[in-house]
Amino acid sequence: MTTVTPSAGRELSNPPSDGISNLRFSNNSDHLLVSSWDKRVRLYDVSTNSLKGEFLHGGAVLDCCFHDDFSGFSVGADYKVRRIVFNVGKEDILGTHDKAVRCVEYSYAAGQVITGSWDKTVKCWDPRGASGPERTQVGTYLQPERVYSMSLVGHRLVVATAGRHVNIYDLRNMSQPEQRRESSLKYQTRCVRCYPNGTGYALSSVEGRVAMEFFDLSEAAQAKKYAFKCHRKSEAGRDIVYPVNSIAFHPIYGTFATGGCDGFVNIWDGNNKKRLYQYSKYPTSISALSFSRDGQLLAVASSYTFEEGEKSQEPEAIFVRSVNEIEVKPKPKVYPNPAA
Amino acid sequence: MASVQKDPILQVETTCGSLLFELQIIWDEVGETETDRDQMLLELERECLEVYRRKVDQANRCRAQLRQAIADAEAQLAAICSAMGERPVHIRQSDQSVGSLKQELGRILPELEEMQKRKVERRNQFIVVMEQIDSITNDIKGQGELVHSEPLIDETNLSMRKLEELHCQLQVLQKEKIDRVETIRKHLCTLYSHCSVLGMDFNEVVGQVNPTLSDPEGPRSLSDHTIEKLGAAVQKLMEVKIQRMQRLQDLATTMLELWNLMDTPIEEQQEYQHITCNIAASEHEITEANSLSEDFIKYVEAEVVRLDEVKASKMKELVLKKRSELEEICRKTHLLPVSDSAIDQTIVAIESGIVDATMVLEHLEQHISKIKEEALSRKEILERVEKWLSACDEESWLEEYNRDDNRYNAGRGAHLTLKRAEKARNLVTKLPGMVEALASKTIVWEQENGIEFLYDGIRLLSMLEEYNILRQEREEEHRRQRDQKKLQGQLIAEQEALYGSKPSPSKPLGGKKAPRMSTGGASNRRLSLGAAMHQTPKPNKKADHRHNDGALSNGRRGLDIAGLPSRKQSMNPSEMLQSPLVRKPFSPISTTVVASKANIATTTTQQLPKNNAVNEISSFATPIKNNNILRNLEEEKMMTMMMQTPKNVAAMIPIPSTPATVSVPMHTAPTPFTNNARLMSEKPEVVEYSFEERRLAFMLQSECRLV
Repeated sequence: MTTVTPSAGRELSNPPSDGISNLRFSNNSDHLLVSSWDKRVRLYDVSTNSLKGEFLHGGAVLDCCFHDDFSGFSVGADYKVRRIVFNVGKEDILGTHDKAVRCVEYSYAAGQVITGSWDKTVKCWDPRGASGPERTQVGTYLQPERVYSMSLVGHRLVVATAGRHVNIYDLRNMSQPEQRRESSLKYQTRCVRCYPNGTGYALSSVEGRVAMEFFDLSEAAQAKKYAFKCHRKSEAGRDIVYPVNSIAFHPIYGTFATGGCDGFVNIWDGNNKKRLYQYSKYPTSISALSFSRDGQLLAVASSYTFEEGEKSQEPEAIFVRSVNEIEVKPKPKVYPNPAA
Repeated sequence: MASVQKDPILQVETTCGSLLFELQIIWDEVGETETDRDQMLLELERECLEVYRRKVDQANRCRAQLRQAIADAEAQLAAICSAMGERPVHIRQSDQSVGSLKQELGRILPELEEMQKRKVERRNQFIVVMEQIDSITNDIKGQGELVHSEPLIDETNLSMRKLEELHCQLQVLQKEKIDRVETIRKHLCTLYSHCSVLGMDFNEVVGQVNPTLSDPEGPRSLSDHTIEKLGAAVQKLMEVKIQRMQRLQDLATTMLELWNLMDTPIEEQQEYQHITCNIAASEHEITEANSLSEDFIKYVEAEVVRLDEVKASKMKELVLKKRSELEEICRKTHLLPVSDSAIDQTIVAIESGIVDATMVLEHLEQHISKIKEEALSRKEILERVEKWLSACDEESWLEEYNRDDNRYNAGRGAHLTLKRAEKARNLVTKLPGMVEALASKTIVWEQENGIEFLYDGIRLLSMLEEYNILRQEREEEHRRQRDQKKLQGQLIAEQEALYGSKPSPSKPLGGKKAPRMSTGGASNRRLSLGAAMHQTPKPNKKADHRHNDGALSNGRRGLDIAGLPSRKQSMNPSEMLQSPLVRKPFSPISTTVVASKANIATTTTQQLPKNNAVNEISSFATPIKNNNILRNLEEEKMMTMMMQTPKNVAAMIPIPSTPATVSVPMHTAPTPFTNNARLMSEKPEVVEYSFEERRLAFMLQSECRLV
């Protein structure tokens, strides 16, 4: 079951010098956008292993995402929401939150930038009218707690906050959450990601566990939900439990990768409840994961996530590995008599 | 030959001798002096010498020239050889002249000529290659048909290596040219597909970039500039495409919403199916020609406008439809529907155009979804309520049945009634437990939602309370009846003893109907409850007094709740004295007592909700602060909501079943799915922080230290 591949993948040159907060592949090319605690956003071209751009901000950058291949958005500890135009190096400030901004997403469906902050709000922005904060902000929506993670699929927005709250919104009607839920895991939420087919979301906690949830409130749909343990190590009869920092869904097969503070990346088949693959251990915690647009590449950020406070650590590294189909293709249950 | 050569010299000698002889004869004849003769001879000799010298000089010069010519030819040969990078064929053996100079020259010259001919050939090759290079370079640089200057050739280097270099250069250039042609072709393809999707004239777009591109036959410009402009054009069209796509998708979304709103028939939708199916498509998925052209967008826009108009005309109908939907849901879930006058006002307002109907509709829809959500959370309790009510019906039936003295008469279907009675008795024994469970469930629900659980506008808890009271009362009644019966029995016995006659059995309480416990059907349940109270055998003054309670908005509630204390008093005044009014603050109390205590403690209905909240929260041992914070948060949320909707609309659609003062903010209270107990236990914990928050704090701290 535990097949360990010998190589960790190709390592990118010129990695960030402090913790990698997130990385994302472009939807159109093999460009990779990386935000990090060294106050910089970096743009890599993975196909040539070259650093295409570097943008310095006023504080640690906590999240970033692509707009198109020529521009992207970033947020961070300086409370600001930025739009970066890569080839010009120009940046617009879309607006500010009252505290550090934890996450940013761009909705192609709504044409809006959505940011979640520790000031307990989610804000929506219109990046097209970037002429001043009065113009760009579309709305502010109070959250029960500090926002820790967000994910989008279609018009659905899932916001996970401290205190294990989960709010589900419809972007076309943000005035009220469509659903308010509490995480079914007992511990702090680390990451939430929607299924690519839009029927639900996966949510991970600091206590080595991932919950699979469904939007549909009917009993039949809710009966399908479950949670599973992962990123644990049994040592001398005791379980060491690691936080699950990151979840990334494969864009084609709907299987997903999880990365934890144990430095492992696992690939799971949620429908058949199977682990498909485990990659060899990375030097330190996995802070972020991203599949490329066709699912052929997986970017892995190996970077200490401060789970044990300040300490000496392995240097930050970004690995890009090419993904074999066998590693991510769902394996349906084997029936004793396969139909001829 | 020697003789031939000798002859002229001999002749010259003889001629010289004979001439001298002739001269001597002449001199003799003339009689020249010896000195003159000597002089003359000397002169003659000198002249002869002169002539010799001149000839020697001449020959000498001729030889030098010849040598020079050879040297020149050799040098030239060497130069050509070196230029062509070949070893010279002819190397003169070090000064060992092979034959005369003229022979040597004769040998070198043809060689030289040969080499020169080869050089010219080589040079021509160079020219050909260089010309090709120049023409491609020109193409690439985009100077087009500019100066076609003769290529400059370095005459000193015509070696094969140089030629090969040039060939390589040429190949590189040719490859680049092919690449460029390919790039341009690709760009043109993309451009063409964009143009076709956007419904633009491809030739015109391309012509703007560079006129040579639109000509399919002629040469195309390959310059950087052209490619750049082409790329920019592709980018621009792409942006236009994305923009239009978003616009179309917006329109399609609106269209879908409108269809949905108006239940547009499928056939009508079919016509626009190909648009709406692209609603979630990304840029590269839209490839159909003209699917994003301006005309097409206009066409869709027109349809949306048309639908909008239809919608506007149908708006009243829609509002009414939505409203009936709302009422239906309310009826099903026993929530209090919106009052009619308010909705009539809304319709009047729509007709007079004061408010935008869409706003009202939106509001209604929001309202419906809110109510649906509420209904979901109420479902479990409602099911229990239904059970309880049907049990109550059975109970009242049993009551009636028990009162029928002829119940054991064997008649048609008597066995069925007997069976029913047996079942009903069974059910009745379970009733108190049922009521208790329901009450505790309801309290938990109210706790979770922060509002009262209303059943057709009446608080369920008060209904239960009332039921309990009625039940106790009825037991009392039973007891009394039994006593009376006993008394009557005694009386009869006495009478018998006195008069010896036995009266016919009479119904002891025939004229006096016992209180009906029935809570009736769903529609007039409330009334029947109220009626039950009016029919109490011992109506007291306080019960009458409550009729005069003015507050109409809270009238129903006031009526029911005000009834409770009086009932309690009338029933068992001593109990009230026993129960201490003053409790320790925040001490937990059993759920069933809570409501009644609250009722006892309060005399005015206005105070009730607040007190209730305090009591109920205290029973869960939670600081009140939490609730207040929560409430404030909700109020804020409401404020923002109110700001988004025009106030008059908000005012016109009252939120049903709850008085605006307290319950409105609580309406959107916490998650329906949360496990309350767990949430409560977590609240008092130290504030949790994520790794990132701790990291930022650490970072800021260390930055401060550095400063």
